[in-house]
Amino acid sequence: MKKTILLFAMTTLVAASFAQKKVTSSATVNFDATTKLDALPKAENKTAVASLDTKSGGVAFEVTVKSFSFANPKMQEHFNSTGWMDSDKFPSATFKGKITNLAAVKFTTDGTYTANITGDLTLHGVTKPVTTTAIVVVSGKTITTTSEFNIKVADYGVTGAAIGAGKVSTDPKITVNAEFK
Amino acid sequence: MWYIFTEKFSDTSDRKAAFTVNAMDLVGEFQKSDSAANNKYREQIITVNGRITEIESAAGDTVANIRMTDTLTASYIIFTFQQQHLQETKQLKVGDSVSIKGSCSGGTYSNILEAEKIEFKRCAINKK
Repeated sequence: MKKTILLFAMTTLVAASFAQKKVTSSATVNFDATTKLDALPKAENKTAVASLDTKSGGVAFEVTVKSFSFANPKMQEHFNSTGWMDSDKFPSATFKGKITNLAAVKFTTDGTYTANITGDLTLHGVTKPVTTTAIVVVSGKTITTTSEFNIKVADYGVTGAAIGAGKVSTDPKITVNAEFK
Repeated sequence: MWYIFTEKFSDTSDRKAAFTVNAMDLVGEFQKSDSAANNKYREQIITVNGRITEIESAAGDTVANIRMTDTLTASYIIFTFQQQHLQETKQLKVGDSVSIKGSCSGGTYSNILEAEKIEFKRCAINKK
């Protein structure tokens, strides 16, 4: 019985050490909708969940909308309101995609690589395809990924008076930064 | 209007907590009914007492997020600290029993981690 338990433990350990799916619950997602008229609409979310499968090239992240922290309370209230992200009804935003040039990204060799990524972003209950690139830095066992892309909020059914007035960008910049160990 | 635009979130240390809860009891409440727990706790200032199970570096940051994880289900609570309280995390280590006060962003099920995650922002170590 002891041998069986030991064998099971060792198998689990070996499987874990060779796991190709890496995850973090402390990825950061920055939202920047600033314009020349207003420098306030920007926020940071430091508790996004992200995953990277170095074998299949699968990438994904999940963001709790209410975890975006703004400096200004009123701005945060607007961001979560029914006129904007409606976060009571749509509490999460998700991305699920793939690295399309996987052969060009050497996850086992230290270096900086550019990954081409395509996938689906679901925001405000609307799913749209997104194509972007990510800078992948491999340093020992740590893989850091950074991706920047803009989204047209109208594509996701987000419209509001502030956008119409030019105080909030129509195509905010989203930056996703994840560190996998 | 000028007042509104210059307004900032107050220091969480100065806020009164609406609830004081044990970490694993809170995880249990969210697991039992995600919607009922969200209605009760979301957007509230809450003091959570529990044991640190992980200290996870936030990407691109020199400071860390604190996690309290239910080892049986992998469901967890995660805390990010308010700017003026960031340094407080540096003295913490895994296994420490702490009291953390912060703004609850609510709980959602993570399909990636296959567990319930309860997130807190603008946290501070609760001074007793």
